[in-house]
Amino acid sequence: MKFVAVIRQVPDGESRLKIEGGKVDLGGVTMILDQMDEWAVEEVIRLQEKHGGESVVVALGPERFEEAIRTALAMGIDRAIHLVAEGYLDPITQAEALAKVIRAEAPTLVFTGGQQADWDSQALGPALAEALAWPVVSWTTQIELEGETHAKAKHDLDEGAEVVRVALPAVFTSQQGLNEPRYPTLPGIMKAKRKELKKVPVSASSKVEILEQTIQEKSRLNKMIDGKDPVAAAHELVRLLHEEAKVI
Amino acid sequence: MGEYMILVVLEHDGQRLRKGALEAISRARQLSALGAIAGVVIGENTQAVAQEAAQYLSTVYAAEVGPYTPEKWAEAAYAAAQKSGARVVVASGGRQSRTWTARLAYKMKAGLLEDTLETSTDGQHIIGVRYSFLNRVTEKQKAALPVVFTAKPNTTPLAEPAGSSGVVEALEVGRPPTVEVLERLSEQKKGVSLTEATVVVTGGRGLGSPEAFAGVEELASTLGAAVGATRAVVDAGWRPYSEQVGQTGKTVQPNLYIALAVSGAVQHQAGMNKSKYIVAVNKDAEAPIFKIADYGIVGDVHQVLPALIDAAKKLKD
Ligand SMILES: Cc1cc2nc3c(=O)[nH]c(=O)nc-3n(C[C@H](O)[C@H](O)[C@H](O)COP(=O)(O)OP(=O)(O)OC[C@H]3O[C@@H](n4cnc5c(N)ncnc54)[C@H](O)[C@@H]3O)c2cc1C
Ligand SMILES: Nc1ncnc2c1ncn2[C@@H]1O[C@H](COP(=O)(O)O)[C@@H](O)[C@H]1O
Repeated sequence: MKFVAVIRQVPDGESRLKIEGGKVDLGGVTMILDQMDEWAVEEVIRLQEKHGGESVVVALGPERFEEAIRTALAMGIDRAIHLVAEGYLDPITQAEALAKVIRAEAPTLVFTGGQQADWDSQALGPALAEALAWPVVSWTTQIELEGETHAKAKHDLDEGAEVVRVALPAVFTSQQGLNEPRYPTLPGIMKAKRKELKKVPVSASSKVEILEQTIQEKSRLNKMIDGKDPVAAAHELVRLLHEEAKVI
Repeated sequence: MGEYMILVVLEHDGQRLRKGALEAISRARQLSALGAIAGVVIGENTQAVAQEAAQYLSTVYAAEVGPYTPEKWAEAAYAAAQKSGARVVVASGGRQSRTWTARLAYKMKAGLLEDTLETSTDGQHIIGVRYSFLNRVTEKQKAALPVVFTAKPNTTPLAEPAGSSGVVEALEVGRPPTVEVLERLSEQKKGVSLTEATVVVTGGRGLGSPEAFAGVEELASTLGAAVGATRAVVDAGWRPYSEQVGQTGKTVQPNLYIALAVSGAVQHQAGMNKSKYIVAVNKDAEAPIFKIADYGIVGDVHQVLPALIDAAKKLKD
């Protein structure tokens, strides 16, 4: 069996974002393997540990993505394919390029993140499934293989959840609760340096153009009330919410 | 090819149109300079729901494909787009629609604008505004037709019925390979709906125990509010996942959001940072939640919460 994780590199949520010339400027920002993709990587490794076969990561993005790819290799993935493309490409265009490579790999299944922490997009997994003409299970919290041909999975809906059986190959996207990702170990990091990482240049044009990005943080009142006397503080807060903010 | 430019996929509960469908119709009408609007109702009991939809639209297709799967929904929406000739497809937001609309956009070779707050057109493109980077950035996107977009819930006034009633047409849809649904697990619903509440009271790990949530519930019911939870609290099993606010939970935008013993991690903020007023109670003056708070109390939640309940009850009496 062969298990593929599709990953991306995104800014660490804790780092400060800045805008330069109407666009988010990632210069100086700490970049990490997207944490929802990390769940995908972990699940692929667990499936391989349980069922044998091979694990592969595929990433589409700029050169800098290599760091996130090495993190996945250090966690235990066998080898990597990096489709190198600078600049923004929308998920539909990405899916088309990724599908070419993944079809050639003919995996048992593909896992990717439920939502991207940079573009807040949920589209890559389902668009990839469409490009491959496979079914998709999004926001997966549990997966179990039934031989090589089917999987049983639990996943979240808008409200509630559902258990499905799906014929393989299929695409799954991750959700919280799927697993606890392992940390790369030192020997893992050393080994990752020698693992195969194939680079494939991609040229495509995006169907979606980003015109402008801004950070419109709502200005907040930041009124602090001393809590030493909890009763007085609570009364003052309720008074402000009623008389000043007029929300209760 | 049909005579329509815009197709609205109408979300419903098997009986009636949902609010999201009426928002989506409003979004389509805002683009009516492009051309006429058709609708499609997908799923079960579609004829009856399409009759209701025909009060708003001149043509409504009914695609009777059975219970939801993303493959069937994408196939049905694609068939309706083909039949009507539409080059813009509008759907309401949510996880399910963001799954099948991605499939649909790929089928149509369309640009996809996800979770838009507002949309407009210059005749050749759709321009959409949306949030990105965990809800921190507001971005303007542009895509040439054909375009598929979803409207973020609670962003658009609900459509009013049109003067005259439209026609309903059954739509034949192919059967794509899809998942087999074995079991649906509904969430237990009690109290006010989290995503529709005007006030939300959220408890975090700092409450220390599931029992401490009795106070959160009491404050919420006094204020007519919904109860929210952080992931830490859900992971600990203190509260159900349906109450989780944040990146992997629900997104809320109430008039008032009260965060009790919540640190305010960026993944939590992603679900609540657009609230009109934010209140934080935390014993740590350095907690990140205070940076986005309008009113903050630095103090022990076990003392402040009972006092808050008292004060809120006095106000309501
Ligand atoms: C991919 C990903 C997705 C995630 N999605 C979500 C999500 O959707 N929603 C979410 O909430 N989190 C999410 N998280 C987790 C998030 O990073 C935080 O771990 C989580 O929000 C912390 O919850 P908390 O504030 O309850 O707990 P903590 O961070 O432990 O904070 C507890 C707070 O309580 C205060 N406190 C303690 N005792 C008292 C007291 N007696 N009185 C007053 N204050 C007190 C402390 O000072 C502290 O600030 C996600 C994480 C990842 C990696
Ligand atoms: N992502 C999630 N995290 C935690 N609980 C969830 C999630 N999705 C669904 N649930 C609910 O958690 C409950 C327990 O699920 P189980 O994992 O089967 O024990 C079920 O009612 C599920 O609906």
